Amino acid sequence: MDRLIELAPEFWTAAAETLYMVALTMLFGGAGGFLLGVGLYVTRRGGLLPNVVVNNVLNVVINFFRPIPFIIFIAAVQPVTRAVIGVGIGTDAAIFALSLAAAFAIGRIVEQNLLTVRPGVIEAARSMGAGPWRILGTVVVPEALGPLILGYTFIVVAVIDMSAMAGLIGGGGLGYFAQLYGYRQFEPVVTWAAVLLIVAFVQVVQYLGNWLARRVLRR
Amino acid sequence: MALVTLEHVTKSYPAADRRAEPVTAVDDVSLEIGAGDVFGIIGYSGAGKSTLVRLVNALEPATSGSIRIDGREITGLAERELRGIRLGIGMIFQQFNLFDAKTVRGNVAYPLKVAGWRAADIRARVDELLDFVGLADKAGARPDQLSGGQKQRVGIARALATRPRILLADEATSALDPETTHEVLTLLKRVNEEQGVTIIVITHEMDVIQTIATKVAVMDRGRVIEHGDVFDVFSGPRHPSSQRFVGTVIKGVPSPAELAVLRERHEGRIVTFSFRDGDASQAQVFIDLAAAGLEFELVYGGINDIRGRAFGHLTLAIRGADAAIDRALETVARHADVTEAR
Ligand SMILES: Nc1ncnc2c1ncn2[C@@H]1O[C@H](COP(=O)(O)OP(=O)(O)OP(=O)(O)O)[C@@H](O)[C@H]1O
Ligand SMILES: [Mg+2]
Repeated sequence: MDRLIELAPEFWTAAAETLYMVALTMLFGGAGGFLLGVGLYVTRRGGLLPNVVVNNVLNVVINFFRPIPFIIFIAAVQPVTRAVIGVGIGTDAAIFALSLAAAFAIGRIVEQNLLTVRPGVIEAARSMGAGPWRILGTVVVPEALGPLILGYTFIVVAVIDMSAMAGLIGGGGLGYFAQLYGYRQFEPVVTWAAVLLIVAFVQVVQYLGNWLARRVLRR
Repeated sequence: MALVTLEHVTKSYPAADRRAEPVTAVDDVSLEIGAGDVFGIIGYSGAGKSTLVRLVNALEPATSGSIRIDGREITGLAERELRGIRLGIGMIFQQFNLFDAKTVRGNVAYPLKVAGWRAADIRARVDELLDFVGLADKAGARPDQLSGGQKQRVGIARALATRPRILLADEATSALDPETTHEVLTLLKRVNEEQGVTIIVITHEMDVIQTIATKVAVMDRGRVIEHGDVFDVFSGPRHPSSQRFVGTVIKGVPSPAELAVLRERHEGRIVTFSFRDGDASQAQVFIDLAAAGLEFELVYGGINDIRGRAFGHLTLAIRGADAAIDRALETVARHADVTEAR
């Protein structure tokens, strides 16, 4: 316990790093994943803008990257990280890898949630003369908003989990903190402090997500 | 000139796999739908009714043939131009297809936004429409708070928002109970009569046609096998498939099975007299038979009224001397069709 009090500054820095990584990952990965998901959705056969080639390419790319365990992905993607961010290690490099991995996962989730929109509703909008992009923005996304929010909530939780591995490339964060000061120094209290804070994050995020989705669904 | 003209229109869908045949959903259909008509299209499931109307507002392109709306050829138009055509054609659906994420007001306003109306005009138009369909108090409600009939009335308001000249109704009452069906049909009738909107009604229920249609086309396996005035098709369906549909709402000539039952219960010769308006009244038949000293009873059939024109089939069991019956039937044959069951 004393050790934890001693480590308080590092603890809070690590917590801030985790929040920072998760927030930026959700921003970049969330946006990228949204575009991927929309791309998959509109180009599929019978979709708003069917395009077999684009659809196949997107599917192959996502199917290739998505199953790679993040702990391997973060190392494998390092050359790309270095090319884009300038460095291969550190918090920003971790955010890049996290965003990329999250985008592939989010792409699928967005696609699946958009697919829950009843085709009849889209047909109705078409029958009123609405074009594909208008239908996407004013019908499909609003109709799927509840499940989309829950899907993103699910991903935030997964990203918090993945961010614990950022320590591998010097990204810091609570996972790294627990590893360095708790596990390696045989201080279970320190480890558990990090665990509890992560659990608290997850709880808050899940609660907010559920609340928002419920609000949207009951509009 | 007809408002909607179809000439040799065919729509086929590519085969599901290489070995299967392509599906011809609409097969060489030619129809003319006049302005102000309530045009019914009836047929069994899979007959191609939905496909046919989806060609009219170009939700699907026709494979071949010509489709003209108000004289303008729409086959081969670019998607952007078709959107303009669709603004002038409203559509309502069996499952209503309301936007669940929008209020009733938002639903009705949607096509107006697509059409680029100004916000103030949209507001006024939506109020007017909700008033027309009797849902002024539900403007702020969500679709899931409405009953089926109310949902369809929102659907109708939404479809009429941009003042289209044509309304397509694809099984618009099939998900509703009989009473609500009647309510919605009455509303559609008002849309036709008060606003002069031409309505194309798809249904598999003959009584929907009987209630509101002026013209009807019967579809079977992609083809229109019979079409014309509702009165003509109802009073004298030629195609077996049309006869089955007509038979669901009209007691016409007894079927062989029904005939067997009638024979069991009634003595004498079983004869069906068919009337169409303009023909001598049914009373004359009874007078002739009575004058011949024959004994008879009504065993099957009825008289129907379609928009003030009557027709029907009355089946009588007639008892008496054969020669007397033959003579009487000859007399009656001058003012009614006589068919004797054998
Ligand atoms: N998108 C499609 N792809 C392939 N086949 C289709 C498609 N749409 C319709 N069909 C086929 O076309 C035929 C006619 O279908 P359609 O939906 O027009 O019938 P319908 O008369 O409206 O039937 P229902 O009363 O069941 O609605 C059916 O055999 C159907 O399987
Ligand atoms: Mg149909």
